[in-house]
Amino acid sequence: MIFLKFDRRIFQHFDWTLLGLVLAVCAIGTLNIYSTGFSAGEGQSSFYLKQIQWIALGLIFMMMIFFIDYRVIIQNAYVIYGISIMLLIFVFLFGYSSHGSQRWLGIGGFALQPSELMKLVIIITLARYFDDHRSNEPYKLQELFVPFLIILAPFLLILKQPDLGTALVLIFIFVSIVFFMGIEWKSLIIVSTGVLISIPIAWHFLKDYQKERLITFLNPENDPLGTGYHIIQSMIAVGSGEIFGKGFLKGSQTQLKFLPEQQTDFIFSVFAEEWGFVGGLILIIMFMSIIFWGLKIALQARDLLGTIISFGITALISWEVFINIGMVLGILPVVGIPLPFFSYGGSAMISLFTAIGLLMNVSARRFILQR
Amino acid sequence: MKEQPNLLSGQEPPDFRQKFKIIGSVFLIVLSILLLRLGYLQIIRGTEFRQKSENNSIRFRNLKPLRGLIMDRNRVVLVDNRPSFDVIYIPNKNKGNELSIEKLKNFYRTKSLEFLYDQSVSKNAKSYLPVKLEKNVDMEKVALIETNALDLPGIYIEVSPIRLYLDGEMLAPVIGYTGEVSKKDMENSTGKYAYGDILGKHGIEKIFDSYIRGHNGAELVEVNVYGKEIKNLGRIDPASGYNIILNIDADLQKATGEALAGRSGAAVVLDVHDGSVLAMFSAPSFDPNLFNSGIPYEEWEKLQNNPLCPLSNKAISGQYPPGSTYKLVVAAAALEEGVITPDTKVFCNGSFTLGNRTYRCWKKGGHGWVDLHKAIVESCDVYFYTVGKMLGVDKIAEYAKRFGLGGIAGIDLPNEKSGLVPTKEWKLKRKKSSWQMGETISTAIGQGFNLVTPLQLANAYSAFANGGTLWRPHLVKYIETTGGKLYKEFLPEKKGELKLSPKTIEILNGALWGVVNESGGTGKNAKLSGIDVCGKTGTSQVLGLPENEIARRAKRLTAFQKDHALFACYAPLKNPEIAVAVILENAGGGGAVAAPVARRILSAYFEGKKKDKKQ
Repeated sequence: MIFLKFDRRIFQHFDWTLLGLVLAVCAIGTLNIYSTGFSAGEGQSSFYLKQIQWIALGLIFMMMIFFIDYRVIIQNAYVIYGISIMLLIFVFLFGYSSHGSQRWLGIGGFALQPSELMKLVIIITLARYFDDHRSNEPYKLQELFVPFLIILAPFLLILKQPDLGTALVLIFIFVSIVFFMGIEWKSLIIVSTGVLISIPIAWHFLKDYQKERLITFLNPENDPLGTGYHIIQSMIAVGSGEIFGKGFLKGSQTQLKFLPEQQTDFIFSVFAEEWGFVGGLILIIMFMSIIFWGLKIALQARDLLGTIISFGITALISWEVFINIGMVLGILPVVGIPLPFFSYGGSAMISLFTAIGLLMNVSARRFILQR
Repeated sequence: MKEQPNLLSGQEPPDFRQKFKIIGSVFLIVLSILLLRLGYLQIIRGTEFRQKSENNSIRFRNLKPLRGLIMDRNRVVLVDNRPSFDVIYIPNKNKGNELSIEKLKNFYRTKSLEFLYDQSVSKNAKSYLPVKLEKNVDMEKVALIETNALDLPGIYIEVSPIRLYLDGEMLAPVIGYTGEVSKKDMENSTGKYAYGDILGKHGIEKIFDSYIRGHNGAELVEVNVYGKEIKNLGRIDPASGYNIILNIDADLQKATGEALAGRSGAAVVLDVHDGSVLAMFSAPSFDPNLFNSGIPYEEWEKLQNNPLCPLSNKAISGQYPPGSTYKLVVAAAALEEGVITPDTKVFCNGSFTLGNRTYRCWKKGGHGWVDLHKAIVESCDVYFYTVGKMLGVDKIAEYAKRFGLGGIAGIDLPNEKSGLVPTKEWKLKRKKSSWQMGETISTAIGQGFNLVTPLQLANAYSAFANGGTLWRPHLVKYIETTGGKLYKEFLPEKKGELKLSPKTIEILNGALWGVVNESGGTGKNAKLSGIDVCGKTGTSQVLGLPENEIARRAKRLTAFQKDHALFACYAPLKNPEIAVAVILENAGGGGAVAAPVARRILSAYFEGKKKDKKQ
């Protein structure tokens, strides 16, 4: 078994650059979370301490994944997929709710959010499928039916929670991987016209209150006033940072709690308020570096499997960065998507570090895998 | 970096490198858009946003919904809404708001108005968070503040709806009152309430709060330095609450309230056909309008410390020994169980001896030979001591439970009490001692451990009157939407059956008629010309029998040791329509005090019916 063939050389090829970049983002993120809890007279909130624990736990997961050859992991992709679907069903049956959405499973003292893990599971499951069904030709519609089903089950389960943000991320990952693998032009045109035509028609037949209900159902955060308020406050926070920012712990929008979801979805505006354009620029460049480093790993991977996995992970991180920052800056609608390595959240952090472990796994093994 | 032979043995499509170039460029473009947008917000519009963040010019305002109306069975509006003008203050050092309160006080002084806000605004009050300085101010103050708005930065008037209880005291025991959401309410409900929300705190307002309350709206506005609105950025209209239509008849309710004026006690009027509550009053009452904008502390203290408990609805939470009104239950049990016939006679010499204890009849000289009819009409205690001893406490309890005693009636109001029907088992469990025969004797005349609420008493007589169906009493007839569409109807709900033979009912009907209409009857004071009223008096002793006797003899009874006066009745004899129970605390004899009150209520009901017919 490859699993047991432990090779010292993987240490020599340990991807310190990637880990360094990720940890740097995590560190800035934690400082930032500290700042959100630092309101005068409110005492210190413990969010940042918990975040440090999540990062530490994430590192452990990362190392565990790093040591197991990714081909072994992919061999079990369908099992992992099955377990994850089961977890989502458990959430549906026994999960508990917060903010009008049932996303969490209580395990011991922890709240596990299986939808976060699903993002990664979808990548390895699709990687397995496309690796099993290689083709030199672009994929036809009927060949994409199974991957579509693979994505459909978790998509619907997560939509039902409801968690529009995560459900959308699954779709984006799917579309990214399909495009990357190649899709026949004809099929693409059929699908896109089909979607484009059916949505407005279906929409047209809905009554006003049904539309409203559908929007609120899919995305509870999206009440026109609530989001309007979030966006305006977020833009004021970001804009008021100007070039150099108001300084650490000095963001008035943040400290006065005008910003909603400070530790999670709107964490970037806190950062931009206190560190200004210079800070924002540096952070975006850091994300850009992680993304391009991921693409490099994908390009240099030893086999197709490695390429798909690393591309999928890079796509996941990219989409989340784009959508989250775009939302905070008021150019994309508000959906609940966290900023990777930056937003507060245990399940997301562990899932992301596991993803980084896989990336490093692929990165290190390109030198040693022989077939 | 050295070229690595990536991808396996040339099987793979060769255009990956090309694809990565495209993907890389797309990512670069997207990230550049983000950077451009960031630069636009922070560099180009930075100064503007910095100013906005310092002024906190964007305000999020909850818009309070109108609570649903509450109406009587004829759609007479009992509870409405009216606007309340509140003085709001937003502390903000940057804008020099600190002096505003002082200035406001000066303005008030010139018009000799009083500034009512008693706590000083805390120095650490979260700047930017609005503070309510004064609630529900009069128009004079509103005008003063509006005209001097420019001199009073940070102070403005906010309008929100509050309750208007028309004829509040008459309906307070049933309808309850509203108030601002408390800290405890906020903690207990996860995110259901917003700060400053108005909630039902008691009565119908509380039980049906989720229907009556409606939904908050909200408004997003941009304001200038003076706190004046300059731009409305969005608005969701609040949704009014649903209307509640009660079974209460406002006129009858008023008559009931007036009949109880100056007393402490309660009265309940039920429709015997379905358990609808036509009137329910608890005296003394209170003005629910006091609670609208936070009740002043002294007023609250006064209500709380009043020994007559105006805040509790005695009709459902007051528990009293039923006294002789209980004899209906015991008589029914005795007839059904066959321990007596209507002709069974007992000799009453004024007392009954069991072992070495003597139990007295209320009539000192005794009633002589009495049969069942006479025993009920003249309320002979000795007769019932004898019958009770034959029945045993558990048989009495069995029938009492059929009459709906000893368990809540299930009315749609909070804090209903269940009363108490003692059994041997109960005593062993609760008092850890075995049942004494003497206690059965007391039980047979509704003394001892027995407790009923006025509602239970009315419901028991109502069930007897309608031939044996025990209904669940209900106050709310239906709920309608703001637009007037029926939303939810509350149909009569059967709780149980008395299962009495027609013969028993006939005999007891005759006896209860006799109580009011025969010459020796104890309830003569409830007699109504033209209407055959049936009823039973009760005088329940507050102190245990022996002690009471001693105190009575010594004429040492204090106000709170005096007997409770009870009267339970229904009318008319043929095809009864309503049942009434009246309990007056520490008021004296049931026939003398409670029966006249019941008479006024009955008379109001039948007068009202006559009027309706004429129209």
